[in-house]
Amino acid sequence: MAVAQLTRRRAIILLVLTSIILITLDLQNSSAISGLRNIFSTVFRPVESTARVITRPISNGWHGIFDYNDVLDENDRLRERIAQQEGATIAAAASVRLAQELLALNGLPTLAGINAVTAQVIGDSPTNFSQTIEINQGNESGIRVGMPVLNAAGLIGKITKVFSDRSVVMLITDPDFALSVKVVNSPRQTTTTTIAKSNAAVPSPVVPVEPDASLDTETSSTTTTTTTTTIAGFTPSVTTLPAVPSGVSSITVPLASDLAVRETGVIEGRGPSRQPTVRFISNAVRFGDIQAGVPIVTAGGSRSLSPPDILIGKVARVVERLGSAGPVLEIEPVADLTNLSFLRVLLYQPITEKATP
Amino acid sequence: MIRFLTIMSSRWTRLVLVLLIVISLQTTLFAEMRPFGVAAQLVLLFVVVSGSINGSTIGALTGLIAGLMYDFVLPTPVGLTSLALGLAGATAGLLVYFFREPTWWMRLITIGVVSLLGEVYYPLAQTVVGLDGWLQLRIIKVAIVVAVCNLVLSPIAIFVCRWTLAERKLSV
Repeated sequence: MAVAQLTRRRAIILLVLTSIILITLDLQNSSAISGLRNIFSTVFRPVESTARVITRPISNGWHGIFDYNDVLDENDRLRERIAQQEGATIAAAASVRLAQELLALNGLPTLAGINAVTAQVIGDSPTNFSQTIEINQGNESGIRVGMPVLNAAGLIGKITKVFSDRSVVMLITDPDFALSVKVVNSPRQTTTTTIAKSNAAVPSPVVPVEPDASLDTETSSTTTTTTTTTIAGFTPSVTTLPAVPSGVSSITVPLASDLAVRETGVIEGRGPSRQPTVRFISNAVRFGDIQAGVPIVTAGGSRSLSPPDILIGKVARVVERLGSAGPVLEIEPVADLTNLSFLRVLLYQPITEKATP
Repeated sequence: MIRFLTIMSSRWTRLVLVLLIVISLQTTLFAEMRPFGVAAQLVLLFVVVSGSINGSTIGALTGLIAGLMYDFVLPTPVGLTSLALGLAGATAGLLVYFFREPTWWMRLITIGVVSLLGEVYYPLAQTVVGLDGWLQLRIIKVAIVVAVCNLVLSPIAIFVCRWTLAERKLSV
């Protein structure tokens, strides 16, 4: 009995030491740990699949009992939202198409040029202290660690573990999630400047004008109609109809202070019950006051794991800080992270991550 | 051959096989069924029950083995759950240390209290290795729901645990 007790104590010490060594190795991204995970996954996967099939009726029953009313309410809400958004979608799609054409014309990268893999969510995190989900596509589909994951609304997370036919996605609410982002702040004033040009020799007079106003340029006796389309957080696009001049042309140039100002920061998750925050925003005067509702998009760049301009969310609250430290922004994600079904993994890797041939 | 059969019939082999099923239930059924948005922790329940039945040493060993297996499924660093569950198993075993023959209600109280503590050990361990951000007020709700779920499921767990960790002599 005493011998058995001694052996067990030795086993405990051995297992504790093993655990500590494994933690150390895993925190340093050891390939040996990845190998061990893969081996265990190979053994465990058939058992898990069997358990999933057997327990499916039970979990369906559970959802049927406890989630039925929520689903009905959600259906009503969604029907109403679809009706509201149908018109806006057509206009937005046209704008997106136009923007993509312009970007392509100027040789700038667009999301449309990045290949993507559609995946289905097959599992939630089994613990209460990890904001991850499992999807049914893996490295056989070209997925690699770090690739951004989106749903129809916007960014939802990034790939953190990849197996042959499945991957683990860390959601943007996980406290370990961090990504560089841009805050697109809208200007307060929306005045534009019309430059009326009669001939090359005469200096052009600069006349500030208010948007949505019909302009009568006295100098050239022509009529110019200016229409301003304002979408929250984005640069107001000013369309100037061609004037009917007698040898006079008119162009509309927005003032530099009217353009949307972009500042970069880092978005960090804070768990399921708290909204993610954006920190390290510079306290520059030029950037101005950040208002709630301002959009947050990915920053991109050669070292960023995500391409630029993927929508993440909008500012829900601005927490001002004393001194030169910039504000902390609480973000409301555009994607509903509690109800994910089909996702899109962008097969994007930054230039610095791509293997050289 | 006899040695192989001895190993295969030992309670530790049985424990590993039962734990495979327990973890698969955790990652499928109990990951989806979330009362009040909290996932019940079947692996923690198994470890706590084994500690409360067999004492600290067996509890700690069960926790370390179960945690190590569970670690390979989770995205967190391997070894972290092992330490947290090992500690939970050892804590549950203190019941047998203080009361030689505990009554059924003592055992239930122990399972509830240690489940509550065990659920707190994990974010604590995360914080120790630098994965902070999980020690929030939400942890109180999570720990209470897990403790209540474990209390409800404990009769089945006690039965399975007794069967798994029973010592049987091989008769060849």
